[in-house]
Amino acid sequence: MDIFLLSLLIITIGGIFPLLSYRQFSLMKSGYIAITVAGCVIGLSAITAPLASSQIEHFSQSWLHFLSFNLTLDSLSAFFLVPIFAVCPLAALYSFKYFHKPEESLRTATNYLFFNLLIVTMALVATADNIFSFAIVWELMSLTSFFLVMYEYQKQETRKAGYIYFVFAQTGALCIFAAFALAYSQTGSLDFAAFASMPANMKYIVFLLALAGFGSKAGIFPLHIWLPHAHPAAPSNISAIMSGVMIKMGIYGIIRMFFVLGVDSVIFGQTVLTFGMISGILGIVYALGKQDLKKLLAYSSVENIGVILIGAGVGMMGIAHGNKVMAGFGFAGCLLHVLNHSIFKSLLFLGAGVVLHETGTKQIDQFGGLMKRMPTTGKTFLTGALSISGLPPFNGFISEFLIYYGAFQGLTLNATSAIFSSLAILSLALIGGLAVSCFTKVIGIVFLGEPRSEKATAAKEAGFAMTLPMIIMAATCLAIGLFPAPVVKMVMTALQSSSIPVPETSLVTEITGYLGFATRLFFIFIIVSLLLRKIFYRKKVVDSSTTWGCGFTKGTVRIQYTGTSYSGNVVEFFKPFLMLHTTYSGIKRIFPGKTTYETKVDDIAETTLLEYIISPFLYLLSKFRWIQHGHIQLYIAYIIITIIVLLMFI
Amino acid sequence: MESFISLAIALLAAPLFPGIILKVKAFFAGKQGPPLLIKYYTLFKLLKKGSVYSNSTSFVFTLGPVISFASAVIVLFFFPFAGNAPIFSFHSDVIILFYIMGLGRFFTVIAALDTASPFEGMGAAREVFFSTIAELAIFTVLILFYRLTGSLSFSEYFIGETPISLVGVSGALIVFVVVSMFMVLLTENSRVPVDDPATHLELTMIHEVMILDHSGPDLAMIELGAFYKLYFYAAFVTHLIFPFVPANGPVMNTVIFLAIMAAVYATIGIVESIMARFKMNLVPKFIFTSFALVFFAAILTIGVIQ
Repeated sequence: MDIFLLSLLIITIGGIFPLLSYRQFSLMKSGYIAITVAGCVIGLSAITAPLASSQIEHFSQSWLHFLSFNLTLDSLSAFFLVPIFAVCPLAALYSFKYFHKPEESLRTATNYLFFNLLIVTMALVATADNIFSFAIVWELMSLTSFFLVMYEYQKQETRKAGYIYFVFAQTGALCIFAAFALAYSQTGSLDFAAFASMPANMKYIVFLLALAGFGSKAGIFPLHIWLPHAHPAAPSNISAIMSGVMIKMGIYGIIRMFFVLGVDSVIFGQTVLTFGMISGILGIVYALGKQDLKKLLAYSSVENIGVILIGAGVGMMGIAHGNKVMAGFGFAGCLLHVLNHSIFKSLLFLGAGVVLHETGTKQIDQFGGLMKRMPTTGKTFLTGALSISGLPPFNGFISEFLIYYGAFQGLTLNATSAIFSSLAILSLALIGGLAVSCFTKVIGIVFLGEPRSEKATAAKEAGFAMTLPMIIMAATCLAIGLFPAPVVKMVMTALQSSSIPVPETSLVTEITGYLGFATRLFFIFIIVSLLLRKIFYRKKVVDSSTTWGCGFTKGTVRIQYTGTSYSGNVVEFFKPFLMLHTTYSGIKRIFPGKTTYETKVDDIAETTLLEYIISPFLYLLSKFRWIQHGHIQLYIAYIIITIIVLLMFI
Repeated sequence: MESFISLAIALLAAPLFPGIILKVKAFFAGKQGPPLLIKYYTLFKLLKKGSVYSNSTSFVFTLGPVISFASAVIVLFFFPFAGNAPIFSFHSDVIILFYIMGLGRFFTVIAALDTASPFEGMGAAREVFFSTIAELAIFTVLILFYRLTGSLSFSEYFIGETPISLVGVSGALIVFVVVSMFMVLLTENSRVPVDDPATHLELTMIHEVMILDHSGPDLAMIELGAFYKLYFYAAFVTHLIFPFVPANGPVMNTVIFLAIMAAVYATIGIVESIMARFKMNLVPKFIFTSFALVFFAAILTIGVIQ
């Protein structure tokens, strides 16, 4: 525990350092990165022991005599600390080139401070062990990330996004505190450990409130509205951390809540599973419909949160049924996907950041041909896209496979659970197919083909400081995919020491052994096929020419398929669940003038919230506006009247 | 030993069977048709040639054929052709293999988008949409099979303790699966009524238009991969129809297997001869029918067994 706290201290110092040295721009950045990376490496070394064994470390600091600030580092916490300490330093390294304006030195320094505070508070969220400490660090985490989103505060769009994020974070916190308050009223104890003694129906209410609160942080549909606003507004290294790491704290909260409540009813699993399926499918459909690269990635986070929750739901159902294999594999898939998503989503956001940085646009339909202009970014982005689509031999497949395996076990249970399990399997299959559709669009339209705008034509590869973190992440994606056994073992150990029933080690070793064998075998098949191709092309004439235009000879880059048309089929298919607006000026005269055609996909959750909740509420509140009249004397009268009324009651 | 022989047959004979389709179609059209070995001639012709690459393409374009080929070949190593144990087999290999085929599709699609051709983009968009629905049908089949056998591997499905087949205990349900898998076969292998491999207008194509710019050995690899994929799906349907128990002996099994395979290919030919291609907006409905059929069967097992 001491080493863990030491690492947090170093990271905090790393955050303060830029404030003192912001006059020396390069020194500030390199010093900051060095200290932060050192702190994170120490943090990683501090969690190796709890990860590998069931060793639990405690820390307690009492405050005001009756409140105590408790931290506990067990294997589940340690597992969630892995992405925090592993991905954050890479994003920090990336920021060296990303923040390139010396004149904004002070602002960059502030950003660095909040970035490191975010790392520290996330680490504390993952270890907080009672209501009091959790509430404090949770709030701090929301606030620091709010300031990170507001980096470019002079843009109106950013301020709007920051405001939306703030509202969602606070509403979510409200739900979490309500859950805690309810639990406290039932148990009279601030410790999470006391939650298990609540009556069963109360547990469900507490869990639902917590699910809403943590879900709004994690981005469960329909509480995901802030994600597609906040991610495009924040700098790319910040979106990488928020999407890759911070929203996982919501998942951590849900899982931790489930464990401390110690429930045995199947309805918890079914609830989580249902939300998971909805988030997964609609997340990826909206991602397909979006034309803004970072918005697309934000919606894809909603989808991945869905996949993670499907895994958690399967695991919860397994626990309720006492089915060890289902519980173990469901939760293992869930946790592994948390880790995997933190790697490939950060990779994709960093890649998107490079693309934005070089071209200055976010619109997918403005890109094209970037694979040739920025080969390293292109290849690492391709790796990330393959991983996030859950395709072998990359890491996303490993976690999805574990969830599948758990869900298939559920098919032998009673009818309700069997139907839920089959729905889980089918949604995973559908999500997989749609993810392929979505990320072929991103790769195909952004990186392949011909550039669609001058900015894309002029794009160049970013510096090594920006590509190195992406190369590391891409290599990790492939490594976990080819050698899944150690990582799965780590996850299973983490589960076991959190007293989750896990299947026998022999079964896990067998399945992961096969899995690794299959992905490696496939990798060998690819290499053999490549060699075969080499042999076929020996001493052959290889020529180059233009693309076959199907008889059309005067093709320009504008006739290429766009992202909108590419995803049109699927988006139209899901029409009841999303709002597709088309504006078409039409062709009016014999000699048509300028015609315009525009399609826009609106988020149904956002419009519903706006139309049916916020607008009526605002209308209602506007009727009370006369209370706010600006006369200070009357305000004082309000206060006095309130006090008198209160005195009568007490 | 039998495993290697049946794999060798699969690897070598896969280009033969599409010739049957062409013969059947020629018969319906009252023509003599191309020779049975036409696909071999085509492959050799392509392998002898060089290639022309579009200026727009990058390394992804050359990777496309390689990966789609590798993903089609690897499946054959896991399938128990004619009831002979496959070379590799383990619990839950089906999920891995269907996902590997997904990877093959991913690369075919991005290779198509790499050419900057609007037609190829159109084909790619259709391909990913239709195959997503087909994937739903396939995973429903897996759910059903898990309910029936409790396993997740090709060899356990077809040569395990309770092999799945029309004449088995739950044969009535398998009727749905046969029909549905045949529809999936037509979809995944771009046959009529989903796609028309013989059409001449790029606008109406799905798979053919995606490989327009590939030439020479690259195209040969794509074609050969497509033959393997079709062979796998046809073998899947064949195994559903007839149980290849060891009692028949390996030679007899292989003969029956090849005969039923020929019949499946002939059926494809008949379907192509008597049906026109669906309009694009009807294709999803067609594929959803295959999903609905097996989903119905799966629901039945969930209700019946408890």
